Amino acid sequence: MRPIIAIASTTIGEAIRRKVLLIILLIGVLFMVIAPGLGILSARSETTVLKGMMLGIIQLTSALIAIVLTVYMIPNEIERRTIYTILSKPVQRWQFLIGKYLGAVGALGLMMGIMTAILLVVFFLQQASKDFSALAELAKGPAMYFVQMSLLAAVAVFFSTFVAPLVNFFLSGGMYLLGSLFNPFFQTLNDNAKTPMIAKIPAFIINTVLPNFANYNIQNPLINPTQTVRNESIYYVNITAYGIMYIAILMVLGILIFDKREV
Amino acid sequence: MLSKKTKSGLIALAVVAAIGQGTLQRTVIFPKWSKDFSIGKFESGGISPDQLLFAMAGFREMIAGILWVRADAFFDQGNYDAILPIIRLVTALDPGEIDVYATGMWHIGYNFTDEEQRSDRRYIPSAIALGKDGYRKNPDTYELYFETGWLWYHKIDDYYDNAVRLFTEAQTKPDIQPARRNLLAMALQRNGEPEKALDKYLELYERAKKNYEADSSFGNRQNMETIEGNVDTTFVRLVQRGWVAKEQGRSTDGYDNSPPHDVGFSAKVTVPEANILRIEGSWNVKPVGTRVRVVLRDENMEHATTGGFDWDYSKDVYLDPPKLATMMQDQLFVKNRRFNRKVDMSKDPTMYPFIQDNYVIEFYYNPRSAPPHIQDKFSWDGSGMTDKNYLNTEIRPGQRVVFASLKISRDMIRRMGEWRDKVPVCKTPNYLESNRVTGLNGEDVVLDIPSLRSSIGSK
Amino acid sequence: MAAAIETTKLTKTYKSRSLGRINVVDNLDLHVEEGEIFGFLGPNGAGKTTTIKMLLGIINPTAGEGYVLGKEIGDIEIHRQISYLPERPYYYEHMTGLELLKFYGSLFGITDQNLFKSLMEKVNLHRDASKTIAQYSKGMQQRVGLAQSLLNNPKLLFLDEPTGGLDPIAHREIRDLILGFRDEGRTVFISSHELSEVELICDRVAIINRGVIERQGKLTELLRGGRIEFVIDGVDEAFLKAFNIADSNVRSLPLGLLFDVPEESDTNAIIDAVRAKSARVISVVPRKKRLEDLFVETVTNKS
Repeated sequence: MRPIIAIASTTIGEAIRRKVLLIILLIGVLFMVIAPGLGILSARSETTVLKGMMLGIIQLTSALIAIVLTVYMIPNEIERRTIYTILSKPVQRWQFLIGKYLGAVGALGLMMGIMTAILLVVFFLQQASKDFSALAELAKGPAMYFVQMSLLAAVAVFFSTFVAPLVNFFLSGGMYLLGSLFNPFFQTLNDNAKTPMIAKIPAFIINTVLPNFANYNIQNPLINPTQTVRNESIYYVNITAYGIMYIAILMVLGILIFDKREV
Repeated sequence: MLSKKTKSGLIALAVVAAIGQGTLQRTVIFPKWSKDFSIGKFESGGISPDQLLFAMAGFREMIAGILWVRADAFFDQGNYDAILPIIRLVTALDPGEIDVYATGMWHIGYNFTDEEQRSDRRYIPSAIALGKDGYRKNPDTYELYFETGWLWYHKIDDYYDNAVRLFTEAQTKPDIQPARRNLLAMALQRNGEPEKALDKYLELYERAKKNYEADSSFGNRQNMETIEGNVDTTFVRLVQRGWVAKEQGRSTDGYDNSPPHDVGFSAKVTVPEANILRIEGSWNVKPVGTRVRVVLRDENMEHATTGGFDWDYSKDVYLDPPKLATMMQDQLFVKNRRFNRKVDMSKDPTMYPFIQDNYVIEFYYNPRSAPPHIQDKFSWDGSGMTDKNYLNTEIRPGQRVVFASLKISRDMIRRMGEWRDKVPVCKTPNYLESNRVTGLNGEDVVLDIPSLRSSIGSK
Repeated sequence: MAAAIETTKLTKTYKSRSLGRINVVDNLDLHVEEGEIFGFLGPNGAGKTTTIKMLLGIINPTAGEGYVLGKEIGDIEIHRQISYLPERPYYYEHMTGLELLKFYGSLFGITDQNLFKSLMEKVNLHRDASKTIAQYSKGMQQRVGLAQSLLNNPKLLFLDEPTGGLDPIAHREIRDLILGFRDEGRTVFISSHELSEVELICDRVAIINRGVIERQGKLTELLRGGRIEFVIDGVDEAFLKAFNIADSNVRSLPLGLLFDVPEESDTNAIIDAVRAKSARVISVVPRKKRLEDLFVETVTNKS
């Protein structure tokens, strides 16, 4: 356990100093700060647009950070030969991979935490009623995005055990898009009686097998206060369990591939 | 390197997790997600994949806002085709955009026509579907129930039970505007339930009175007085149109709706030029205000029934109408007891493609849609109206309507084949080339509309 | 003495799309004694790093076997007694030197702060312990690398090009540290192509070329075969015939005749003969065989 913690904390330390990540974060934060000024774009109440936009910025920024952070993580270690120094110590490869992944998740958590804090502050300042329970309600969004981004990071770490960073960037990004779009697509297919079986079956398989990032896009009830969801917290527990199981699968596969890999 | 034992343990863990995540996704997460978190279904033809990408990236409300601004610009330019996809996209991205739903329904349903112009009726089910999507996603506000009800009430102007159902639902929402509550009473009358309309008015009057007592503003007083007038009018009509007598089991003789008046419907359709119809005929009602509905459609049109149409068939919002189907609906205005209208369908071949071989022309008149002064004679249920040839009590159960249909072929409409040089004529057997409408014994029959102020006693 | 490293027919084969199967390391038989500094020499791409990675258990050999400190390679327990300093290593630049030692120490479970400090002192970085690695010069980075490689008090150190890219002063510092390791009883396995360095510190060397060991042995034995160069005034070529000196080894200089003989030749006999002829000895210079000569000879002969 100790090597995993050491590697994870080093990874966090390195990640929060990476300029490209800090720039992405800074741009995200900038957009969040100017977001209240863009409320005029809406035909509806400003807080609705503000919430939707700020949650969107957090999600997009986090996804970009998650991918950029992880695709270079393992290849960089190999290229800079730091991995050899580490693997020549009594550290197993699986410990190295898990440590790196947990470090990435930790760094993501830190950066998303900053954005969430800004979200809450900006929203609090915009809000006329100064209602703290509304802030707690709003924080559910980033919390679930964090599980989503942890899953995305696991996808990217898994791919990074056998593909080059640039390929991985598009692979993971593609997976994220697919996983975000497939739920609605599948829903449409499934509900349409005219869909032929030949389209339904592969769609069913893909929706069951691929990571469904869309599960975590829970902003609807957060943005539209009139919409109420029954058993909301059970759903959140379910998707968190789903994420953990999926991360476990990706980590196991990653470990098996990484164990065989010539570095 | 991992030992074999560790490897098989890990693989077992992965398999268990794989089964676990799949089961969770299928049995719990996906159904719940579809119900509560989905951004809505997409009609495949409606939204392109690149537009779908927007939805994924968050920013849905913002992009919806930007798109709506664009839609406004398109509207100013008259580029209506560009607006429909934007409407669908905006409502999909931001299901809370009530105004866009409402405007979108109007755009799709009326497809940018004035009320007097013919619109493309093939879009109406799509507009209804958009409205349904809207009130399902915004169940806590009255607006989209009301707007969808209005589409039934005003645009479809038929099957009023739908308007009643939706206006009733709208009344349960706390944010409904007072004046809009009144419309339910109107819809109830059109649905043949005038006594319920009276009850509704009385209820609304109580409410308005309380409001006025609490706040004696001009608006509140005006609202109260309007409803008071409506109560009076409805009550008088219930009496004069023999409704009260009927309810009490008394004879309706002597009331305005008795005896029933024969409207003497007849019609002739000629095709002077390709895709142009001239529709003439008789309607034995002298006061202005009669509009007879005429529908020309494919003989075997999907979702069509004799004299009717299932406007509610579409589950999806589509942005292209069923392209191969033809459906024209228009109103025949009666003036001097005759109607004579030229229906020009040659200008818009996409709206009227005329692909099928055979068509029907249906004439339909329902006194429920009639203006009050004519309804005073016919009553809400048509008890004061008859037609010796075309009275129909089947196509709208419980209602007395006038219904006639003619058949016409594509070649006739398009002036092809044998009809190239010959003007096709279709007419009802009773059609007479005369301005004179005669009764059973050849005498002139003219409907005398009684005045609302005439009392029963004077009859 | 026991063997620190012992390999038998150790082979690593890679598949290449254009060239088919290539043996990057081909039937390698290595023998490294405990307590010696062993030079592992070869041109770039000869298979040096691949061999080290196999010995460290970072990659698996395709065939053959190997033992490090008596344990079969791949055994993670070996890692407790060895350390590895890669070629031109990169360290997490945000860390200070001391933090770097703490990080690597934690991989062993070592938390002894005094050890970290004493190691920084040992590599003469104790005054720079709180500077970040990014602020270190290349030589300092290499020294902190050596410090981390001593964390676990290893019996065997693998150093890959330890002086590569360093200035002469840094060379000397590193060289002294490595010599110190031997004095502490550690085995040092140096992979390098900086032959002058290796020649100065190594006890034994192996020369690897294209995956095959061409030479292996004590440096003193491998460098046998030097020559002794004479410049004599007052003799002719006929005189030299008596000593079986070929014409090709003889050149005429303004000072006299220049010729050389193998270092094992009886030089006294030549000088006696010169004296007997009253000729004059201008100079007698032993020309030692250099590792560089041996290396070039080995590598070029093969190709």
